[in-house]
Amino acid sequence: MSAAAGQLSDLGRARAQPARAGAQQSRWSHLLYVAPFLFLYVTLLVYPLFAGFWLSLHKADFFGGSRFVGFENFVRLSNDKVFIGAVGNTFYFILLTVPALAIIGLGLALALNRTTPTAAFLRGVFFSSSVLSVTIVTLLWKVVFAPDGGFLANLFEAFGKQPVAFLSNADLALPAIAITTIWWCIGLPMMLFLAALQQVPRELYEAAALDNAGRWKTLWSVTLPSIRRTFALVIIIEVVLQFQLFGQAYLMTQGGPNNASRPLVLFIFEVGFTRWDVGYAVAAGQILFGLIAIAAMAQYFVARRKEAF
Amino acid sequence: MTTQLSSGAVGRGLGDRVILAATIALAIVMVLPMLWAVGLSLKTNAELLVDTNSVLKAPWTLRNYYDILIGSGVFRWLLNSIIVSVGMSLGVLALSSLAGYGFARLEFPGRNVIFVLVLFGLAIPEQAVILVRHQLFSDLNLHNTYAGLMLPGMSAPFGVFLMTQYFKAIPTEVDEAAMLDNASRFKIFWRVLLPMTLPAQATLGIFTFLHAWNDYWWPLVSGTNEQMYTLTVGIASTQMNFAESAGLGYLMAQAVFAGLPILIVYMFFQKYIVRAVSGAAA
Amino acid sequence: MPGIELKNVTKTFGSVTVIDNVSLSIRPREFMVFLGPSGCGKSTLLRMIAGLESVDAGEIWIGDRRVDQLAPGERRVAMVFQHYALYPHMTVRENMSFGLRNVKLPEAEIDKRVDAAAKMLEIAHLLERKPGQISGGQRQRVAIGRAIVKEPQLFLFDEPLSNLDAALRVRTRLEIAQLHQRVEAAMIFVTHDQVEAMTLAHRIVVMNNRKIEQIGTPMEIYSRPATTFVASFVGTPAMNFSPVELSDGPNGFVSARLPDGAIVATRIDKASLPESRSFKLGIRAESLDICPVGQGQTAGVAQFVERLGDRTLVYVRLSDGTTVVAEDAGNSRVAINDKVGVKFDGGGAHLFDDQERGHHAVLEGNST
Repeated sequence: MSAAAGQLSDLGRARAQPARAGAQQSRWSHLLYVAPFLFLYVTLLVYPLFAGFWLSLHKADFFGGSRFVGFENFVRLSNDKVFIGAVGNTFYFILLTVPALAIIGLGLALALNRTTPTAAFLRGVFFSSSVLSVTIVTLLWKVVFAPDGGFLANLFEAFGKQPVAFLSNADLALPAIAITTIWWCIGLPMMLFLAALQQVPRELYEAAALDNAGRWKTLWSVTLPSIRRTFALVIIIEVVLQFQLFGQAYLMTQGGPNNASRPLVLFIFEVGFTRWDVGYAVAAGQILFGLIAIAAMAQYFVARRKEAF
Repeated sequence: MTTQLSSGAVGRGLGDRVILAATIALAIVMVLPMLWAVGLSLKTNAELLVDTNSVLKAPWTLRNYYDILIGSGVFRWLLNSIIVSVGMSLGVLALSSLAGYGFARLEFPGRNVIFVLVLFGLAIPEQAVILVRHQLFSDLNLHNTYAGLMLPGMSAPFGVFLMTQYFKAIPTEVDEAAMLDNASRFKIFWRVLLPMTLPAQATLGIFTFLHAWNDYWWPLVSGTNEQMYTLTVGIASTQMNFAESAGLGYLMAQAVFAGLPILIVYMFFQKYIVRAVSGAAA
Repeated sequence: MPGIELKNVTKTFGSVTVIDNVSLSIRPREFMVFLGPSGCGKSTLLRMIAGLESVDAGEIWIGDRRVDQLAPGERRVAMVFQHYALYPHMTVRENMSFGLRNVKLPEAEIDKRVDAAAKMLEIAHLLERKPGQISGGQRQRVAIGRAIVKEPQLFLFDEPLSNLDAALRVRTRLEIAQLHQRVEAAMIFVTHDQVEAMTLAHRIVVMNNRKIEQIGTPMEIYSRPATTFVASFVGTPAMNFSPVELSDGPNGFVSARLPDGAIVATRIDKASLPESRSFKLGIRAESLDICPVGQGQTAGVAQFVERLGDRTLVYVRLSDGTTVVAEDAGNSRVAINDKVGVKFDGGGAHLFDDQERGHHAVLEGNST
């Protein structure tokens, strides 16, 4: 009885908030706190999104020419081999990078989840590449992959092998970009896993030790189950991030050779900013938006389900 | 029992050493590209054209760095990057703090609906809006201006979301105590609550700064005038003509020069940067 | 010296009424405690007085000022919060002077007040520290100090002791009582702890379910509970209740017959009882004594024995299956499963009618 009343009054209090007390003040005026952000949000994000929906139904260029064409852009996309290839490349790239990032990140986190200075230093090393910009990263790796005097080429020659032109080989270009990306991005998954490992209650390990569980047994039946949710979260975050592959491909291979390393975002960029086929590019952007929205929704649900995972 | 325990302990020590060795090996792989670039930057082009393996032996020279210092756009780009990154970070902090306080503490018509609409914005990728945004900025003559480079980053709802959550986590008792202390609504925000959000401000500030510093696509299409290049775009512009090469050593010196500031910042603020980036992601 | 007057105060959240037409007057310098279970509305009422919740109907007066429409800061009240609500980024001194700065008091006056309050609360050595650097008890003092420096007409305490450990709670309770001796202001103290209420209050307002059940001095609340709720909420162990049938007893008093047949002669005036379909007898353990079988009005089997040192509580199962708590001496020899007699002190018996209202023994002074 009194518990029910308590719930009701708590509910009421949560709704009333303290703001209620000074309710003498006009409530519209409170919008002023939110208005500056809302203005930018609406003009620079919401409006472009919806204008994009509209624009994707047009044949449009940057110089103002525009003609309503209905879903023609989407039909064209579905028949565009380069676009289909770009979507395929994007998924292939995700397949190359995301599992590797998750597994290497987890491995590093497990190895470096200790308080020694060496571990702290190594954590710093593995995260350091993450703060570099994409242009520096690609510059570094271009001189690693370069067939003529590149680091790997020199290494191959030292072992008496022919140097390989990674970035101009259709089969190796995307994997080379993937390696570059893994090198660049490994810090984040490692840190997320480290944070999760710190959350595993110490008692669980003590209980496992009392149960005579060995190192691998403890890892398998205590540690890994405790961070399942983080694992799912890392996968989704990385999928969303790697979906947006652009700079590495643009700067290392320009999508070549023969479109073998052209991802979706680079396709949008080229159609929009070099071929000026704006409506078509925006239509491709809608497809990207849909794909990322699905991943973002998955992230939302994983983040919500606190225990189930 | 005892033997089992002790053998386990020995195995553990051995396992630890193997893992440590493997991790160190990986760390060396990790830094090799950076060291390689540093090495190349210390050699003259003439030598590198003959054999890049020459980085392993003397003579080394700072000639390439000297060339950068006397005649290169790098300083201008560095300045642009600093202006844009700092400006965007301050803007995001100001807008997000105000809006976060508004959503967390104040009542106004449609508050909950508006907040949900803002949350939806978290799922909008930049690539989906960049073309229309580019046209919009053309119409407004904002390309090749600092405002044009900064504003898009300030429209992202992430900071608002973060600050709203943070303000909500502060007990309302604190506001109430301040009300009884005769503080105005704005004073409660400015003098009482805002200082309490400093950890979140640091996270958001660092995250935004890194994002702005490393952003590539928008500055590439908006700051097309060489005087308005950010460091990221500027460095990219030089590597596009990698083949004809202004000189491999010179190029690498530029990369090192561009990467060093952020790496130094990283070394000093490692703890905060790591917390900011992983906090923002999760 | 202003008093505080609540007139027909009502508060609703949507369709839920959380304070239902409450009227109350608090005398100048009075120490008033709002006591009740969580969710009864006592905190809401306090927050309405503070101005942290709006008043939907009714009026609140402090002295000759009507305050229910004023902003919290303009009501000349100070509040000590449950979780202290100190400003974590300000030093203790800044915490205490923040409110005074906001009303633009001269610096010298601020320093004077802060130093005086700090000295009184023995926190002078902490003035330059931040809340995170001091202990829970010290934070509590700072919170009190922040209230004192405002020299308010009314102090409000919202369960301020609930976060302290047991020893500190007793000490701080005493200090708040002493503080009340020193300051010229009324105090309202909200708690769900009856010991705090009994020890601190001039008068207690017992609240339940959005309404005031009883207003009275601690002894009135304890010995003449107005309702079954007050009777059962106040006092440890809880009062024994049993349905009874009434009959005429000696001197115009009524006698009550328990379900097991025992007859208790009360000192409740028959003429004062209203019409009621049924009555419940309420009696505290201290009015039920353990005695040899056959000597009391009834007897039963000891189910539990709680030794408290100075006295012993015996849970006795009567022949009809009900259990009552009776008291025995500290060195009681009663053991579980012993058969014991129970002696009722009819002077401590209360009757509750079907409206849950309490009726009590005639007071000694005006007994016939």
